[in-house]
Amino acid sequence: MRDRPIRILLVEDNPGDVRLTIEAFKDNRVETPLEVARDGIEALAYLRREGTHAGKPLPDLILLDLNLPRMDGGEVLAAIKADPALMHIPVVVLTTSRAEQDVQRAYQLQAACFITKPVDFECFIQAVKLIDAFWLSVVTLPCGAR
Amino acid sequence: MSENCPVDPASHTTRPRRAAGPRTARATDPRFDEILASANDAIISIDEAQTITLFNRGAERIFGYSAADMIGQPLDRLIPERFVARHAGQVRDFSATPEASRMMAQRGEIYGRRRDGSEFPAEASISKFRGPDGLVFTVILRDITDRRAAEQMLRGAHDELEKRVRERTAELEERNAQLQQEIHERRRAEKQLAEQARELARSNADLEQFASVASHDLQEPLRMVASYTQLLNRRYRSRLDADADEFMGFIVDGALRMQRLINDLLAFSRVGSRGKSFQPVDLGTIVAAALGSLRAAIEESGAHIRVGALPVVHGDPTQMEQLLQNLIGNAIKFRKGPEPQVHIDARREDTLWRIDVCDDGIGIDPRFSERIFVIFQRLHTAAEYPGTGIGLAICKKIVERHGGHIDVRSTPGQGACFSFTLPDREEPPHA
Repeated sequence: MRDRPIRILLVEDNPGDVRLTIEAFKDNRVETPLEVARDGIEALAYLRREGTHAGKPLPDLILLDLNLPRMDGGEVLAAIKADPALMHIPVVVLTTSRAEQDVQRAYQLQAACFITKPVDFECFIQAVKLIDAFWLSVVTLPCGAR
Repeated sequence: MSENCPVDPASHTTRPRRAAGPRTARATDPRFDEILASANDAIISIDEAQTITLFNRGAERIFGYSAADMIGQPLDRLIPERFVARHAGQVRDFSATPEASRMMAQRGEIYGRRRDGSEFPAEASISKFRGPDGLVFTVILRDITDRRAAEQMLRGAHDELEKRVRERTAELEERNAQLQQEIHERRRAEKQLAEQARELARSNADLEQFASVASHDLQEPLRMVASYTQLLNRRYRSRLDADADEFMGFIVDGALRMQRLINDLLAFSRVGSRGKSFQPVDLGTIVAAALGSLRAAIEESGAHIRVGALPVVHGDPTQMEQLLQNLIGNAIKFRKGPEPQVHIDARREDTLWRIDVCDDGIGIDPRFSERIFVIFQRLHTAAEYPGTGIGLAICKKIVERHGGHIDVRSTPGQGACFSFTLPDREEPPHA
């Protein structure tokens, strides 16, 4: 167990989904600092702590939407896994896509897991609860290159 | 000069004439008489006045006159009247030339005139020598009627042959033109077909694109509606009244049904476009997987599923599972009461496998046995039996993609048997 709350970066362009994710964590009574990047470029800028992101801590877990403007989730995932400073951070792909090829591509790019966003909010709460239970409680995450 | 002199005018048919000098010896040679007499050709001599002085037996036979009749007669008697003047001129010309003999047909065909007045084509040569009484002309003539007739026949046969060749050529040309036309038409049809195939491929690609847009872009707003309504419900249920709860229930229910509809439509559209290539599929394994997916429904209903021996068929494993899951799922869904019985069996029919999925459920009125396979056709309200009306349409599309046929036999109230065929395309076992 760690002495500080786990940090999560949510990469999601839809404000509705951002809020829904935040609410889902809230309903699961997970107190966790959730940073949000609105697209792939911003996500990478945050992770590399460029510009206004200078001095920000690295997240312990990344929740990544696949359908993103400017730079899609697959590209972001590839960039993260190609960067020695970031490659240790587990990435959970969270998307509406059920397409087999998206799932395969995500795992090929070393996604930690792939979760299809359920339409039913109760199911979504469940999914977030599972993320919480597994990644935030069960798994020992690396401390990262800090 | 003697070499140009084939015959001696002196013969038994000639008017007796006194021969002079060295000729006498030959003239008296009996062999010359025999030669003259036995020759098949007419041998006729005339003097400078064109009076006949010799008329052999061949001439008698050809012209029909006797030598006695003709000796002393003008040659004109033997020539058709229209040629008489020309002939006389030609003989005069010949007498003036240094040549000893010539063929007579050089300026057109020559004809003889028989005693009965009939004409005949002839071939003749004329020779001359100077005798004691002046120039003697000798004509050797042959009746070529038969040869002409043969030539005529030959020409006729040749013409006939040419005519047939022309006709056959024309026929062939016509047939060829027809073939060309057919080839042209076929090419045009092929081009049209190729065009239609391209059009279809384009239209399929458009549909595919639409399906993909529908799967993601249509679901996104739907998810927002459903999720936030549910969030609202979670957080504010106690603070709103019963009506508000009911309304929110309808919103969520509508959104969830819409999502199922979109997913089912997608599945339907992908049966043809996203199908995998065929491979040997063990239907026993497939049914086990389908039952696994249906575990919740089976447990909830207490269904008894009996699975007979199932064959290995040639097909798309994903679609086979989708097909059997839909049919078994329906068998459980449309049950009369708890613990429904479902049987899955296979049997051989010629080159086909027939698979039956039978239940003891509510059954289907035979009136609707065709309609239930049409997309969006439902026999029950969503409250009685939920569903989008796409499941059986997907089943039909899958079976047909595999070259089979699906139908239903049912007695309402006593269950239904969905039965589909799959062509047996198993590879023959290797020797």
